[in-house]
Parts: sequence; C-alpha cells; structure tokens
Amino acid sequence: MTTEVRPLSLLCELTYRCNLQCPYCYNPLDLDGYRDEIDTAAWQRVIGEAADLGIVQLGFSGGEPTLRRDLAALIRTASGRGLYTNLITQGTFLSDARIVELADAGLDHIQISLQAPERELADQIAGTVVHERKLEAIARVQQSGMALTLNCVLHRNNHDSIADVIALAASFGVRKLELANVQFYGWAYRNRGGLMPTREQVERGLQIATDAKRRLAGQMEIVYVLPDYFEDRPKACMHGWGRAFMTVTPNGRALPCPGAAAITSLDFVNVRNAGLAEIWNESAAFTTYRGTSWMPDPCRSCDRREIDWGGCRCQAFALTGDAGSVDPACSLSPNHDVIVALRETGARHPTMVPRRMREPVAVPAL
Amino acid sequence: MNAAVRPAFERGVRLRTEADGSAMLLVPEGAIKLNTSAAAALALVDGERTLDEIVAQICARFEVADGRAREDVTTLFERLRMRRMLIIA
Repeated sequence: MTTEVRPLSLLCELTYRCNLQCPYCYNPLDLDGYRDEIDTAAWQRVIGEAADLGIVQLGFSGGEPTLRRDLAALIRTASGRGLYTNLITQGTFLSDARIVELADAGLDHIQISLQAPERELADQIAGTVVHERKLEAIARVQQSGMALTLNCVLHRNNHDSIADVIALAASFGVRKLELANVQFYGWAYRNRGGLMPTREQVERGLQIATDAKRRLAGQMEIVYVLPDYFEDRPKACMHGWGRAFMTVTPNGRALPCPGAAAITSLDFVNVRNAGLAEIWNESAAFTTYRGTSWMPDPCRSCDRREIDWGGCRCQAFALTGDAGSVDPACSLSPNHDVIVALRETGARHPTMVPRRMREPVAVPAL
Repeated sequence: MNAAVRPAFERGVRLRTEADGSAMLLVPEGAIKLNTSAAAALALVDGERTLDEIVAQICARFEVADGRAREDVTTLFERLRMRRMLIIA
C-alpha cells in the first residue's frame, strides 16, 4: 500500500522503569518483558530515520525517561536534526544540574505530571513519597525559563480536587495545564473499576475547567480532555491509526499508538529489524487500520469517518476481542452496551493494584 | 494592539519551514499548520521588529491594504498570545 500520509510525531518510550506506582498508568502490564532496552546508538539511528521521514515532534517518555543516562545525548541528536523535543516526566529526578544539561542539549519543552494538588493524596496515588520533590522540580523548571506544561490525570480519587489543581498550576505561573480524564489502557484498564469517575464528577470537572479557562485566558492555557466512556462518539484516536503518530517501545517495537501492544492479533515490527520508513509505509501493523477502507458498518458510511477515523482500535480490541470492530465508545456500535455497563460497574469495584515491574497477583474480574 | 510593540516567540515555540515552502509553528507537543500569510507574518517575528514594521512588510509582499493586513496580523498575534505562544511587549 502506498500512502501520502506522513507521520508528524514519534514517541520514544525510553524505558518502562519508574519509581512511581500510579494505578492509572497506560503502560502494558507485562513491564518485565521490556527490560531488554535498545541502546543509545539504536535510538540515535531511529531519531535520524524519524527526521528523514518528515517527523517534526519527538516525545521522550516511559516509564520515567530521566532514568536513562543517555537522555541528553538523544535530545542532542534530535535537536541537531531540527526536531522539536518534549520530555514527559514525573519530575522527581530534575535537579538544577539535570535541567541545565537537558536545556543545553536543546530540549524544547518539559511536561511534568501531578497526581493531586496536595501531598497526602498525591503520594497515596503515586504509591510513594514524591509530591514535595515534584513541586520543587516544577519551581526549578519555571526558574530556568524552559517551556513547562503540567498534566494531571483525572480519575475518581482526585476528580473532586480539580479546582485546587488549577489553582496550584496557576500559582507556579506555568503556561499550560492539561486535565486529562483517565483513558483505560494498560494498568488503567486493569484498574478501571477503581478509577472510573462518576458522571457527576466528569460534568462538574468540565464546568470548573471551562470557567477557569475563561478566567485565566492569556495567562495559562487549560485543556480538559473528555473521557470517551461518557461521550456518544469516539475520539479521533491518534488522529487516525497510522496517520500521524508512531511510538517505539523500550525494547524497540514500533506501534501506531502507545496502547497498541495490547492488540495481540497484530505483529509489530521491531526497529532492530527494519527502518522506520519501511515500518510506516509497509508493515501490516501500520496499514491494516489506516484510512477508511477497513471500516465495518456503520463506520464506512458514517459522515464522521474522516473526523474520528473509526475511534480507537485498542479499545475495540479490549472490549470486543476484534481490533477491526466499531469502537464501543460510539453509541452506534452494536457493543455500546459494554461501555455503558462499565460506567456503572466501576463504582462497585474499587480494588486497584499499583503499577509494578513484575506481574502482580490477579485482581477480581469486573 | 499597540503599533510599537515588538512581538517575540515564547520559549519553546518556533517556526519551521519545509523544503516545499509550507510552514508550521512547532509548540509544546503540537504543530500548527500555517497558511502563506500567517507564515510570512510569523517569519518576521524576532523581538526586534515592531508590529508596524511587520504590517508594512506584509502589505508590500501581498499587495493588500494596510487596514486589512493590520487586522489579520493583529488577530493572529492576539490568538497566539492568548495561548501563551507569543509575547507582546
């Protein structure tokens, strides 16, 4: 299949190691299977291939990407090729010296995650003592002048703190705050029973975010990401499968989205074995659900088919067992009742398992 | 917007021009596609030129009336300022 679409963005998941244990993490459950990380030279080759392919945005993520000692070297390679570089971090390792090292390498932007606006709840969600160190890191990055975004994943246990999250972010003077309702992939999917917000929380959150957006316009940009479990139409996941976005996992698998490893019906090519352009243009993993010709009814005749691109393949696979089925988030899906049921069952199954490198013991099925 | 302001990009915001002449604004975790006139105006943003000078150059290049160019450029800059991508001072 030849294609005119070109990727704009590559997410480099440098490692899945992380000292936090957030139950909403979208990383895969079998983290221990990703310890065979590709080395510096392989990443540098991938970054060069990304630039050749026309990619303009690079994200360094994980796990916790600052655990890789070669992070600055990789940023230097990327900025040398004119790529825009983003670091997505939980922030606990950002000393002044590290910030200077990353800035000198050409880093354009840092995103730091917040679990909650106050220490007790934040540390409880992270499963370890981190909140104070995060606040210190935020202050240091602000002091350095680097572009900084704060991101808070919203779920049942912190949703009611949203006004305080906004106030905290504004008090630091950061330019942008993302309030992202949890998406159910990886660990978050496993823990969906305890994470699922109530409809009241989602709607109240939207109201508070909308008001704050108006009040803080020109001072801090606020993005409120709606949860598609509570919508009638699916999200345009990744701007469409294989249309704009690539992810490479710590062990080198190239994915159309960070959640795609869960789709066991697809084979994902490893960057150790093929170039990025070949993977993008020719591999089945990227071409199978690209465009609209793969779509079943009612998607194929829907006037939104080039707006939402059929929604999310990972969600379709997780909830129906078929990655080519209609995203159940859409009310026109024959399986929409699965989503409706999950919204309700969530409230009755609050047990969560913290993210760990080794597979935890089973939790009760929903 | 005062004609004497000297617009500048916020840190972490930059213009990227492709070999085919198309341009986009690279921002934190995003890229904004630009039409020809928006790209031309932003290419003149350097923290030195005033709004007046930018408008004058756009007028000359696209053969549009000063009032129209000023309105378009100001609208664009104001939109980017509201998103903390441009410093207007």
